Amino acid sequence: MKLTKLLIFFTAFISFSAQALLEVNIIKTREAAFPIVIAPFEVVGSSTNVDIAKIIRNNLNRSGQFNALTTEALITNQIDFNFWQEHKKDAVVFGKIEQVSAKVYNVYIYIYDVFSQKSLYQKKIRVHNSGFRRIAHFLSDKIYYVLLGQKGAFDTRLSYVTVTENSSGGRTYKLQISDSDGFNPQTVVRSSNPILSPAWSRDQKKLAYVSFKNNRSEVFVMTPFMKTVPIKLPKFDGIASSPTWHPSGESIALTISKQGNKDIYLYNFKSEKLERLTKNISIDTEASFSPDGTKIAFTSNRTGQVQVYIKDLKSGKISRATFEGRYNAKPVFSPDGKDLALIHRVGKDYRLALLDIASRDLTVMTQNKSDESPYFSPNGGMIIYSTNRDNKGILSIISLHNNQVVELMQKEGEVREPSWSNYSN
Amino acid sequence: MSKKILLLSSVIFLSSCATTNISELGDKFLDLINPSDAATEEAILGGEETLVAMDQTGGFTIDELEALSNDELIAIAQEKGLEDLILLDEDGNLLNRDQIINAIVESAALLESKSEELEMMSDDELIEVAVAKGLGEEIVLDADGNLANRDEIIEALVESAAATEAAISEFGNIADSFTLYFAYDDTEIDEVATRIIIQHANFMQSNPSVNLRLEGHADERGTREYNLALGENRALSVKEVLGLYNLDDRIIVVSYGEEQPILTGSNEEAWEKNRRVELVYY
Repeated sequence: MKLTKLLIFFTAFISFSAQALLEVNIIKTREAAFPIVIAPFEVVGSSTNVDIAKIIRNNLNRSGQFNALTTEALITNQIDFNFWQEHKKDAVVFGKIEQVSAKVYNVYIYIYDVFSQKSLYQKKIRVHNSGFRRIAHFLSDKIYYVLLGQKGAFDTRLSYVTVTENSSGGRTYKLQISDSDGFNPQTVVRSSNPILSPAWSRDQKKLAYVSFKNNRSEVFVMTPFMKTVPIKLPKFDGIASSPTWHPSGESIALTISKQGNKDIYLYNFKSEKLERLTKNISIDTEASFSPDGTKIAFTSNRTGQVQVYIKDLKSGKISRATFEGRYNAKPVFSPDGKDLALIHRVGKDYRLALLDIASRDLTVMTQNKSDESPYFSPNGGMIIYSTNRDNKGILSIISLHNNQVVELMQKEGEVREPSWSNYSN
Repeated sequence: MSKKILLLSSVIFLSSCATTNISELGDKFLDLINPSDAATEEAILGGEETLVAMDQTGGFTIDELEALSNDELIAIAQEKGLEDLILLDEDGNLLNRDQIINAIVESAALLESKSEELEMMSDDELIEVAVAKGLGEEIVLDADGNLANRDEIIEALVESAAATEAAISEFGNIADSFTLYFAYDDTEIDEVATRIIIQHANFMQSNPSVNLRLEGHADERGTREYNLALGENRALSVKEVLGLYNLDDRIIVVSYGEEQPILTGSNEEAWEKNRRVELVYY
């Protein structure tokens, strides 16, 4: 039942074109990845232009957790388990796409364990032909869960900002959303002025972002799947920026400058009231909520250095979280609340780092010069962030399983400010 | 050169007329941190000249302009702050008469649209604008509290807009710079910047209808949102100095963070140019 609902949602809103705006490169070799085979899906009736098996394979390989290969021949119910054992594959996945009517198909999937030679999972799903990509992501999550016992993060969305030079010499900024693999990009806001910091609400229905369309930074909230006008949050005398959703979705933390003093406030949509969360004459910004909503991590230069702090919202206690290095900024909580991803300065470079909050251990994750805007995948297995490649802004996804890096880039222009949505309902 | 001195001296004269305790304090503060400032040296020259182009607004038709002599045209162009456009030959004759006439007509059209914009306003809005532009004393209300001299106020506002345009354009020729630079992750105002700010403070004091937008920027290093805050702090530290001249009410501060670099590229040269505050009059 749940799935039917999901499909209706899907067919209603996804645009017809499924081309990838983002090019994808996998940088590092796969180590210690789960070796599996995903055979091409058998097609009964008229074929479709979406290769479900390929999308699944790419998804699983991008996660760093799998080494998923294809097969030359279709696999049907007669599985040669000995052959796959010899080739050191641990699991076999295959499926079938069967046309029911002009635009409706049945998709079957089977997952077998090679050693026990037993079925781990099988399912039949009815799908509208515009929903094939979504089904491929949904099935990727299933395989991930069946084989690893953990949730995948494939049936989710990214948001990011692209910047291109236009013919009149100015820049065009687009706030876009795409599938988690960078496919299906859709522009939801377009502007000749900068757009920053898109952030998904936990229910995936709203995006908050910063726009300079009125020649100053202001925070807007929009519902990308309904054609409504973005709502501007109340105006203040200085900058309003850095929006981040409270997990409840009822309020949003943002940085507001009052009389020049930048602090973090909580804006409640129902009461339309502002609650001040930090009170310091220095810069306090870049807030991120802990998954349970009881804490915020934020950037502050209160000691003269740029460092990351955590405020317990119940006790009001603020404690410093970073002690290594002179510049730590833009913290974001991991989905289990134990780690922070942040930007750490090493010499002249700004690199993605992972901080274990309890032990204070800081691990620098890249060798890049200018990483920015980290965000965890909702299962905590990957971090997406922006960086530079040949003087061009691109997105990178690093697997926390084996540090494999996947790069997403635009043919023309830059892509930056990534954010990862939560799971769909 | 002589013109520059004349303008400077009149600016200084006017600013000395407008002294208040706070601005005296500000001057003293600035003298302290910057004792060799040009303003103190040239104050001796103080005269009673007023800025040119303060009183000219009248619209001309093209026919009227074409009937004028070159010298008269040049005078009007100067009054309208269009002297940059004037091209003279070796004998001092106007070379681009048509271009000048067009420019004057266009600037009149601008004022025309300004005037239309004002006509659209309600009495209350007009009064608000007039007060903001320092014309509060000219407002006359009738017994019911309505604006009695609406036409006069609009005319005065258009005049003031024209004067503002002209003064800004004139100042553009003599100001040392409209951009101030900063060190990495810093909002400190150095001596060079202080000198520039004083010049701007004097200009604003002599031109009460001029408003200033301070646009703060950062280089690309560090995170975008932090840089947005840093850019605002840079602009605010400039505002703080101008505040010593009692100019707070006429200044707005915005920040673009690292979003609008002057130079792209990841090197010290680009970063230096991008860590800045731009002074924009309106």
